[in-house]
Amino acid sequence: MKVFSTTCTFDYSWDEVSTANWRKYCPWNDKATHVVGVDTVSRTVDPKTGILRTERLITCDQSVPAWLLSLFGGSTTSHVYEVSYVDPISKKVTMCSTNLTWSNVLNVRETVTYSPSSASPTSHTEFTQEAKITALCGGWQKIKNKVEEASVERFRENASRGREGFETVLEMSRRVFGEQRELEKALL
Amino acid sequence: MAASIAPECNDIKEKYDTCFLKWYSEKYLRGNTKSNDCDELFGKYKSCLHKALKDKGIDGMLDDARKSSSETDAEFLKKS
Repeated sequence: MKVFSTTCTFDYSWDEVSTANWRKYCPWNDKATHVVGVDTVSRTVDPKTGILRTERLITCDQSVPAWLLSLFGGSTTSHVYEVSYVDPISKKVTMCSTNLTWSNVLNVRETVTYSPSSASPTSHTEFTQEAKITALCGGWQKIKNKVEEASVERFRENASRGREGFETVLEMSRRVFGEQRELEKALL
Repeated sequence: MAASIAPECNDIKEKYDTCFLKWYSEKYLRGNTKSNDCDELFGKYKSCLHKALKDKGIDGMLDDARKSSSETDAEFLKKS
């Protein structure tokens, strides 16, 4: 198993980040073109805790190293299942994702969280990401290692692009919400 | 908003996503967690999507994955 983890702080409040997070993969984000579909399969609010639970199917189309494709089969389209929890009281978003495609040879478990930053909780948000990658293909440890390393490398690339793209979405969201508020004020 | 995996569901998905985002930012985050403004739109979107998932043969692997979410449910659905 290999682990990839990263953290960063966004210069936006938790309310803003947790809202914009729902449209992380929208056309404003030109850095996540490998995500071609985001579908919500189920959504409920726990009546006791107020926790919002959402299940999504995320569909990606991305280039895969040729040697990996020859190992795993021909398609570059892959599906990810994500279940997320928003706790509005403690202000925490937790998103757990796992791969549906190639799941017989590779297990990827990713956990992402967004919480108010401890240093400036009203204006900044802390992001953490951890991915555990395990190659399941039987046989040579050497091949397993190579598969895991290639997957971690892809995670690293997508993570930095992901952050860049999300920054754009945050900026656009703030602008659009601001304009909406102005409009509502003008109409009242 | 991101597209649906099923192009025929894009219109209803867009309507639902817009409704959800408004509800989330204006009601849910302000403590009104029991309101259900978008249920009707979600119902329509879901029925469109379910048919597409079945046709594409994704429903089976999705169901398998959903079974394993009880682990994270136990950890993250509890009261903080």
